[in-house]
Amino acid sequence: MIARRHVLAAGAAGSAALALAACGGDSGGSGGEVDGEGKTLTFWLMEGTNASADAYIEELKTAFTEATGATLDVQVQPWDGAHDKFVTAMAGGTGPDVAEVGTTWVPEFADAGGIDDLSEDIEAAGLADGLVEGLVEAGSLDGGTYGMPWYAGVRSILANREMLEAAGVAEQPQSWDDLLTMITTLKEHDPDWIPFPVAGGSIFSAMPFVWGAGGEIATQEGETWTAAINSPEAVEGLTWYTDLALKHDASTSAATTWLETDSLAAFLQETVPMFITGSWVPATIEAENPELAEKLVAFTIPAKDSAVAPSFLGGSLMCRFTETAEPELAFELIKLVTTGDFATRWAEETNYFPGTTAALDEVVAGGDEITKVFATQMTEGGKSVPVTPAWGKIEGAKTLGTMISSVLDGTAVQDAADTAAEEMDGFFSE
Amino acid sequence: MSTAAPDLRDRQDGAAPLERRAVPPGRRLRRGLAPWLLLAPALIVLGVLLLWPMVRVLNLSLQDYELKNLLRGDSNYVGLDNYVQVLTDPFLWQIVLPNTVGFAIVCVVLTMAVGTVVALFLNTLGTAWRSICTTAIMVAWAVPALTGTYIFVWLFDPQSGLVISALDGLGLMEAGSVNWFTNRWSFYAIATLNVVYHGFPFIAVTMLAGLTTVPDELYEAAALDGAGAWTRFWQVTVPTLRPIIAVCVILSTIWDFKVFVQIFLMPGGDGSTREVMNLGVWSYTQSFAQGEYGMGSTIAVLLTALLMVISVVYIRTLMKEEEL
Amino acid sequence: MNRRTPATTAARAIGVVVLLALTLFPFYWMLSTAVDTSPLSRGASLLPSGLTLEHFEHVLVDAGFLRYVRVSLVVALGTVVLSGAVALLAAVAVARFRFRLRTQVLVMVLMVQMVPLEALVIPLFLQARTLGMLNSLLGLTIVYLGFSLAFAIWNLRGFVAAVPRELEEAAYVDGASWWRMFRSILLPLVAPGLVATSVFSFITAWNEFIFALTFMQDGSKYTVGVGLRTFFTQNTADWGSVMAASTIIALPVVLFFVLVQRNLAKGITAGAVKG
Repeated sequence: MIARRHVLAAGAAGSAALALAACGGDSGGSGGEVDGEGKTLTFWLMEGTNASADAYIEELKTAFTEATGATLDVQVQPWDGAHDKFVTAMAGGTGPDVAEVGTTWVPEFADAGGIDDLSEDIEAAGLADGLVEGLVEAGSLDGGTYGMPWYAGVRSILANREMLEAAGVAEQPQSWDDLLTMITTLKEHDPDWIPFPVAGGSIFSAMPFVWGAGGEIATQEGETWTAAINSPEAVEGLTWYTDLALKHDASTSAATTWLETDSLAAFLQETVPMFITGSWVPATIEAENPELAEKLVAFTIPAKDSAVAPSFLGGSLMCRFTETAEPELAFELIKLVTTGDFATRWAEETNYFPGTTAALDEVVAGGDEITKVFATQMTEGGKSVPVTPAWGKIEGAKTLGTMISSVLDGTAVQDAADTAAEEMDGFFSE
Repeated sequence: MSTAAPDLRDRQDGAAPLERRAVPPGRRLRRGLAPWLLLAPALIVLGVLLLWPMVRVLNLSLQDYELKNLLRGDSNYVGLDNYVQVLTDPFLWQIVLPNTVGFAIVCVVLTMAVGTVVALFLNTLGTAWRSICTTAIMVAWAVPALTGTYIFVWLFDPQSGLVISALDGLGLMEAGSVNWFTNRWSFYAIATLNVVYHGFPFIAVTMLAGLTTVPDELYEAAALDGAGAWTRFWQVTVPTLRPIIAVCVILSTIWDFKVFVQIFLMPGGDGSTREVMNLGVWSYTQSFAQGEYGMGSTIAVLLTALLMVISVVYIRTLMKEEEL
Repeated sequence: MNRRTPATTAARAIGVVVLLALTLFPFYWMLSTAVDTSPLSRGASLLPSGLTLEHFEHVLVDAGFLRYVRVSLVVALGTVVLSGAVALLAAVAVARFRFRLRTQVLVMVLMVQMVPLEALVIPLFLQARTLGMLNSLLGLTIVYLGFSLAFAIWNLRGFVAAVPRELEEAAYVDGASWWRMFRSILLPLVAPGLVATSVFSFITAWNEFIFALTFMQDGSKYTVGVGLRTFFTQNTADWGSVMAASTIIALPVVLFFVLVQRNLAKGITAGAVKG
C-alpha cells in the first residue's frame, strides 16, 4: 500500500509535467500517459443507462486505443447488487482500473480507501472549473474530490399521454391534492390500470414526498449526522405516499418488491399510465417501444403545496480504483469519457444531464419538452442524500427500502420510520 | 442394489483374522506408515481449505475488521465486543435465530416424513415401476438448488405465476393482489417447499436401499404376533434401519441449517426484506455488502457453533449404534 | 407384501401417478416455460401457449450463456479429477487399514461437512486475495476440491470396503507390491464408486453459488449460477429466458444423475450401512 501511494504521487506529478511536455520520463516508470501500448485497462460501466451503449462502447474503445495505444476492456455491470460487488471487488483487489460509481457511494468508498482522490489530477488537467456543483459535492470527502463528475439525472413523473387524456387528466399537478385527483380519476376510468405504482424497491421515488412535506432523511450538526426520517414532516410525506397504495388503490401488491425497472416494464405494457422515473428513461422507451415514446409526457413531482418537490439529484462519477497499476492511463480514460464529444454524446443518448456546466446548458437549450421538465425538477429541486461515508452503508443495508416495503406490508409508518432512524443513527455513530 | 448391501455386512468377520496373520516385519512398518501417506493429500486439503480458515474466522470475529482495515492491511482487536453486540441484538433473537432454527426443524421433519413414506411406498412396487419412480425422484434431487429456487419463485410469482393464475381462475384471489415474498411466513412456506422437494429424494433412495435389506422373516414373525402395518413399521423397520435413519437425519440437519442459496436468491432474500434473513445470509451481507468482515465472521462462528453442537449430539448417537 | 387385490393395485397405481406428477411437475414447468411463446400470459394452463426456441437463442446468443457454461465445465471437471484422486487414496486408508486415530480421522471427515460455507467464505476470500487467486478458475477449483472431498471420501470408503480382502491377499501371495495390487485389483473394482463420487463432485462444483459469486468479479469468469443470477436481476420479468437458462444449467446435472443413479444409490447405501 505504501509503495502504491508513492507511485500515485509520482503519477500526479507526472501528469502535470505531461500537460506541458507530452512525454513522461519519471512517472513511476510507466513511460507516460500516451504510451499505453500493450496495456489493458478495465472499465466498469453501469448497465441500463444508455440504451445504445454497445455502439458507444465500441467507439470509446477505438478512441481510447487511438489516443493511448492501450486496449480498453469495458465490462457492463447491472445496478442491482452493484454496491456489494464494488465492496467485494475493493476488498479482493479484483476491481477495475476505472469505474462509474453512483454518487451516493463515493464518500463510503473514498473513506474505505478504495478509490483515489482525483483533485490534483483534475486541477492539473485544467478541469476544476465548470463542473456541475451538485456532483462535485457528492464526490467530496475531507476536501478531496474522489470522482470526476460524469452525468447527473433526476426523477420526475413520466406518463402516457393517451391514457391520461382518455381519463381527462393531462395537466401538471400543482400539489399533492392535484396528484391524488389524477390518480383516483385514472383508477375510476379503468379499474384494471395500475394508475401510479408505488415501487417498494425504489427509495428515490418515495423521498420526493418526504422532502415535499418539509422532511429530511437526516440532518447534520457540525460533524455529526442524526436521522430525521421519523420526524413528523417526514412521516407525513411517507404516509401520504404509501397511502396511495394502501388506501387509494393506486398500485398493486406485487409492486411491494418492485424495482424501478419493474414499474418500467409495466409502463411499457401500457397498464401503468404514469410513474416516477428518471430523466434517462425516455431514451430506453424510445428504443424499446418507439410508438409509446411518441405518447410520452412528463410532470415534475409536486410537493405538498407546490408544483416542484425536491427530487434526488443522482448520477455517476468516474472513479479510479486505488489498486490500479496504471493511474495515469486511468485518468486519461476518465478525461476522455467526461469531457468533449464523448460527454455530450453520452448525455444526448441517455437523456442524462452532463457533469460539466457548459455541456449542461447546451443540452437544456436544445432539448424537448420532456427534457425541460426534468431540467426544471433538477435545477429547482435537485437534492442530495447525506454526504457521509455512512450513507453507503445505509444504502447497503437497504434501511430506507426496508422501511418502505414494511409499511407497504402493513407496519405503521411511525414504527417503520423509528426503526429505520435507529438503524441509521447506528451507522452514523460508528 | 438389493444384493450388494448384504454381502457388505460381513466385513468384520472376514477381515479381522486375516489382519493378524503373520506379516513380514518390513511390510508391517510400511503398513503402519501407508495409511498416513495415503491420507496425507486429503488431510492437507481439508486442513488448508477447511480447518485453517475456521481458525482465521475465529480470529476475525474478535476484530472490528472493516473494508478500511482490509485495504490498509492492519488489524483491530476488540475482544468479545462483536459477540456482545450480536448476542444482545433483538434482531438475532426475534428474527434470525427463529428463521434459522425453526426453518431447519420443519424442513428436517418434513423431509424425513416425505422421504420415508415415499421409500415405504416404493418398496411395495414391482421392479419396473420402482425404477421408473426412482428415476423420477432422481430428477427432483438433481435439479440444482439454484435453478430449483428460480422455478419456485416463478411458480409463486405474484403477477403471472402458476399459483396466482390458478387462484385467479378459481375466483379466489386476484393476480397482483398479494406478494408472498414480502411476508415472513409465506416466504418461508415457499422456501420449505423448495427445500423439502429438493431434499426428500436422498432420504427416499437411502431408506429404500435400507428397506430392501430388512429380512422378510422379521416382518413375517411380527405379522404372526398379530402386529399391524403401523406397529410393524415402528417395531421392525425403524429399529433395523436405525443407523441409516441416523445418517439421514444428520445429513439433512446439516444441509437444512446451512441453507443459503434457496433464501438468498428469492425476491427480498438477499437482505432487502430484513425479516426473512437467516444466519447465513446475515453473515454474508454483513461482510460482503457492508464490508464489516469482523461482524460477519462473528455471526459465521455462531452458526458454526450451532451446527457443531447439533452434530456432536448426533455423532454420539451414531457411535453408540455402530462402530465407525 | 405380495398380496394382490384389485384395491391395492388401484391404490398403488394412484400412488405412482401422484408421486410422478408431484416430483416431475416443477421440472416440467421449467421446461415448458422455457419453450413457451408467451409465458407471462400462460396463466395456469398446463400446456404452453406455443412452442419456440427463441428464449434459448436469446440466452445463448445475446446473453452469452455459453461462456458461463464453459467456465463452469472447466471448474467442475477440474474438481472431479482432483477430488477423485485424493479421495480414493484416503478412502483406501480408512477402509483397509486399522491404525491409531482412524476413528478420529473419520469423525473429522464427517465433521468438516458441517462447516457452513458462509463461515468459510470470509477467510478463504481473504486468503485467495493474498494469493492472487480471486478471479481465477484454478482458485475456484481448489476451493471446490475442499468442499467435495469430505463427502467423496465418505462415499468411496464404502466401495473400497466392499472389495473382498481375499483378492488383495491373493495378489500379495502372488508377490505383487501394494501399489501393484492397488492398480490392478482395487482400482478396477471401485471404478463404479469412483463414477458415483465424480458425479457428486461435479454437481457440487457445478451448483455452487456463494464462492462463485464472491470470487469471480470479472464478467467473463462467471459460472453458470452467477451468470443466471445476473441475468435474472437484469430481466426480472423475462421468465421464458430465465427458465431457458435454468434448463441449460439443470439438464446436464439431471442427465448425469439419472445415468449413474444405480451406482449412486449403491454408494450411499454402502457408505451408510458400513457406518
